Amino acid sequence: MAGPTPVQIFHEEEKKRQYRSGTFFLKVGLLLLFLLVPVLFPAFKTIDLAMQIVLFAVLVASFDILLGYTGILSFGHGMFFGIGAYCVAFLIGKYGMPSYTNLALGFLIAAIVSAALALLISFLTLRVKTIFFAMITLAIAELAIILATKLTGFTGGEDGISLNTPGIFAVSFNMGDFMGLEITGRVFTYYFILFSCIALFLIMLRFTRSPLGRVLQAIRDNVQRAEALGYNTFLYQSISITFGCIMAALIGGLYAMWVGYVNPESSLGVLTIMLDVLLMVIIGGMGTLYGGIIGAAFLKITQTFLPDLQHLAMDLFPHAQLLHNVLERWLLLFGILFILVVIFFPKGVIGSVNEYLLQRKMAKPTISPSSFTPTPPGNRP
Amino acid sequence: MGEQGVDETILEVQGVHTFIGQHHILQGISFDAKADAVTVLIGRNGAGKSTALKTVIGLLPSSKGKIIYKGKEIQKNRPFEIARMGIGFVPENMGIFSELTVEENMRVAMLVENEATARRLDRTLEMFADLKKFWKAKAGNLSGGQKQMLAIARAIVNDTSLLLIDEPSKGLAPIIVDAVIDAINRIKEHSVVVLVEQNFYMASSVGDYFFILDDGMVAHAGHVEALIQDEALQSKYLGISEAEE
Repeated sequence: MAGPTPVQIFHEEEKKRQYRSGTFFLKVGLLLLFLLVPVLFPAFKTIDLAMQIVLFAVLVASFDILLGYTGILSFGHGMFFGIGAYCVAFLIGKYGMPSYTNLALGFLIAAIVSAALALLISFLTLRVKTIFFAMITLAIAELAIILATKLTGFTGGEDGISLNTPGIFAVSFNMGDFMGLEITGRVFTYYFILFSCIALFLIMLRFTRSPLGRVLQAIRDNVQRAEALGYNTFLYQSISITFGCIMAALIGGLYAMWVGYVNPESSLGVLTIMLDVLLMVIIGGMGTLYGGIIGAAFLKITQTFLPDLQHLAMDLFPHAQLLHNVLERWLLLFGILFILVVIFFPKGVIGSVNEYLLQRKMAKPTISPSSFTPTPPGNRP
Repeated sequence: MGEQGVDETILEVQGVHTFIGQHHILQGISFDAKADAVTVLIGRNGAGKSTALKTVIGLLPSSKGKIIYKGKEIQKNRPFEIARMGIGFVPENMGIFSELTVEENMRVAMLVENEATARRLDRTLEMFADLKKFWKAKAGNLSGGQKQMLAIARAIVNDTSLLLIDEPSKGLAPIIVDAVIDAINRIKEHSVVVLVEQNFYMASSVGDYFFILDDGMVAHAGHVEALIQDEALQSKYLGISEAEE
């Protein structure tokens, strides 16, 4: 071919723009912030908050692959997170010694078990309509909680399983000070989880931007049209569910490493995990992946600091009983904040900002929709 | 069209019955599409035109009858299998993926991304210049005419030998309809077209053969030139009076 085609020209221009855009610098800034958290804010509460944001941001992204990119509402996603947490806890806690091999095996088994279960659920339930699929996955998730609670001998029941992380990740590990930062097992675990989450996020980003990701978005828009274009939508939906569930299981394993404890409520709970994930994806915006970061940050920060407002009010205004009573019910404040976010960002923060930027772009004369130029009319019969 | 002869029949629909729920929509419909020609299915609202196309592509299952494409029965195949045999489908109401960009709509339609598809994509973008202009824009934000062009472009970017187009003029301004006519006239150089159309002007501008559908059955068939001359037939089945013309 003589010269570059129009599509090649578009891609070249896009590549040039990629590293100059404001969002690129925002992403780098965010990455630096999370990298520097243990150095700048060494208090455990802050490091724990940052870790929870990172873990849930990536968990929300894995849920977004199902809901935002494929249009599948699954209430069973939290179950896969729990399966990952339990697999790691079994291997380095209840049934094995804390070693790197066992840790790696825990993640491998988590991935295999979740893939098998996700495929089974897909084949059994994907043929029903969306709402029934959501209800079936909710029932399966509830069943998993009951099993984890009742099979005390196997899972530890409601008491759960405590686990010790191996080698440099052990709580007792301490390498001393380096540039004012105490290098402990916690710090190593923080960076291991952070880099693992970044890797998982990049894999998900690649997945959604691949041709396969485009097909999933087409299926989300209209299943019949995608099928008529030549895509086996059932197969693609199964791939999406399986991939999202494997990601959730791996994140669950990382979560178990961080908290050092798993039990049915904290790892499998539909209300504790799934409700949070749903709120995060609504706040951040569906079908964006990055929305998970905003959603997780909003929810985790408010959940961490809103309960403290009551103590602050007691110190500042010791006689304002009404204020104390209101702040004691911090969930009420959280509810109001959530409503405000939904009102002002109906498509989630990232979704609404993207929409606003797109509208601004469309308003420019270079891409005005009125520029349609039909060819001259032919002879009418 | 190269390999196909002028009278070669590429698609045969024989006595097909289709139900939607409990409604018996197609009641033994039979029609065919010949190579190097545009076959038009015309008729009033509810006659079963769109159902006929959806049955051919497999989106609606036929309960009886045969659909033969290039000598092979396809009525039991799933839509994605039929599409991969080389049948493109342009649904009515500008059936695009509105949440995807123009680029994503085109790329998702490309079943394989090789040099031949890239060449077809470039040819398609030359044919529909506006798509090139709005390449990165969300398809849902395009105008009606542009959406229709995108829907057609998406169907021809693959190596389709049969293109089913459902009411491309629906909801479009007359000047845009002329652009769609021009596009279909260019497409027929590469693909056989079966067009469902209620707009008689459009049907007569691009069609070679016609089938008038009435109550799920073929009421009349023949050359489009004959239909243009037959005002009684137009008036009876298409509701066209001399005053309207």
